[in-house]
Amino acid sequence: MRPTLVVGNGPLLYVIGPTTRVVAGPFSFDPDPRHAAARFDSLSPSDLPAGLLAALESLPRETRLLAVPSRTARALADRLRRPVGSPTEEELKVARSAVPSLDAAVERRFLLALGHLRVERALRAPEEVLITLAREEERIERAVGREARAAESFVPVPDSPLDRHAEAWGRARGALADLEEALRRSVESEAKLLVPNLSAVVGARTAARLVAAAGGARALARMPSARIQLLGSRRRPSPDRGPRFGLLYRADRLAELPIGRRGAYARTLAALAAIAVRADATTRRDISAVLVARRDRRVEALRRRRR
Amino acid sequence: MRPRGVLRPTPGSARLWETKRGDRRELWTEAVGEPPPVYGERWTEDDERQFRLFEPGRSKLAAAVVRGWSGDLPAPRERWLYLGAASGTTASHVADLVGPEGRVYAIERSPRPFARLLTLAERWPNLRPILADAREPVEYAGLVPPVDGLYADIAQPDQLEIVVRNAGLLLAGDGGRLLVALKTPSMGRARSAPAHRDAFEKALVDLATLAPSVPLEPFHKGHFMVGGRWGRYARLPVRERHPPTMRRGRNRGRRES
Repeated sequence: MRPTLVVGNGPLLYVIGPTTRVVAGPFSFDPDPRHAAARFDSLSPSDLPAGLLAALESLPRETRLLAVPSRTARALADRLRRPVGSPTEEELKVARSAVPSLDAAVERRFLLALGHLRVERALRAPEEVLITLAREEERIERAVGREARAAESFVPVPDSPLDRHAEAWGRARGALADLEEALRRSVESEAKLLVPNLSAVVGARTAARLVAAAGGARALARMPSARIQLLGSRRRPSPDRGPRFGLLYRADRLAELPIGRRGAYARTLAALAAIAVRADATTRRDISAVLVARRDRRVEALRRRRR
Repeated sequence: MRPRGVLRPTPGSARLWETKRGDRRELWTEAVGEPPPVYGERWTEDDERQFRLFEPGRSKLAAAVVRGWSGDLPAPRERWLYLGAASGTTASHVADLVGPEGRVYAIERSPRPFARLLTLAERWPNLRPILADAREPVEYAGLVPPVDGLYADIAQPDQLEIVVRNAGLLLAGDGGRLLVALKTPSMGRARSAPAHRDAFEKALVDLATLAPSVPLEPFHKGHFMVGGRWGRYARLPVRERHPPTMRRGRNRGRRES
């Protein structure tokens, strides 16, 4: 026999009986779409509509109860103190055909509210904050460099209208540099919190950029070290003479080495960075001391090495 | 701005229009929302309606039409599920095609493009954005009513499974429309692009009735439009094949006069 199913349609919940018709409902999470959207996503057992609970309590005790999505099933099981399963796709499909469609205006307001809630929650996550900050910082840094070069080629001419402008330009450039400074500080502190091992190995700012380029610490952790080495490089990899580094060009200690040995260092560094970010994304253990020691040993070896 | 040629209806969809001037053929969708442009596209108007340029270089659906897609296109009053809507470039055109009485439920997983999709939906009355993963249709099954059509543009190695699960669960039933912008480069390099398409079509043979697929080159490299109607014995639309603008073979890539 078919089970009894609790199926939602946006802010409304229906009880679909064994003969595939609505036996109770609709029950609304909340008349206000914004509140209903908040309840829909973070459903606690106390948020379930009272009418729905009463309708389910009145069913015979042996009725097999199913509900979607799984958090609704869990909340119901908690509240009713009886098992609530999840349907097979076939059962769900049959039950869905019984659910009346929602008023267009209500549906629109509910889904827009739900979209806002979800996107805000997603972008508030520390990882997304780091990605946003790192991208912003990278852009502002380019702007600061561009403005500094522009300022060099500008020749001040006393007693000309340009003179007045020069001061305003200077102020704007100073403000831009200050912004860059502030952004860099916050990027670095965020990176040290989110990916401490990676920050220790390649430097906090480079770590943040790597995470931003990969789209997240987990995505970066899944990459092979060869990919990390070239992440952010502009040229196409090629077997004979491809790029040696992308974002890693700005990594800690790379500038200390002679140009001919930087590629070798980048290779090692990418391997260490891959290990570091995997620790950051999975175990969260602090292995930075070991990795930094290996990195420094490699720097010394490359410095001593003759051609 | 007045159109540069005469706007004529197309056989594919009631809200899809075309202009022809010389050898230039342009596609337009009848806008559901108001300007400003969604992604910088050109707008034009006649006496009572507004149209948005539907460019094959920007949208795989437009490229499919230009390459002679003979299957279904979104039609007025239909409900479509759009998987992989990103920031809504093509999704806005699909919304145009289904018109103010149709609905487009747009699924997107990534929060950044979704934020733009959401601002678009605020002024595009028939667009319903949902931040969710297309791999988990059960999670949004309670938000999407049974739909008439499924459009998928998901660059994932397992796009076949994603499409099949969504179609099976969310399409209203047999005869539901299916349009898949197949991106073969994200399905691995073990097989060539046509081999990927063939494997995809073969896997769907028992589940759907497929219209002839079209390659989307030169607009989208390695892409195909695959689709038809859900159900093993569904009937395909009887319609004249859309005249292809791009010729295959020797004159490939050159416009027909």
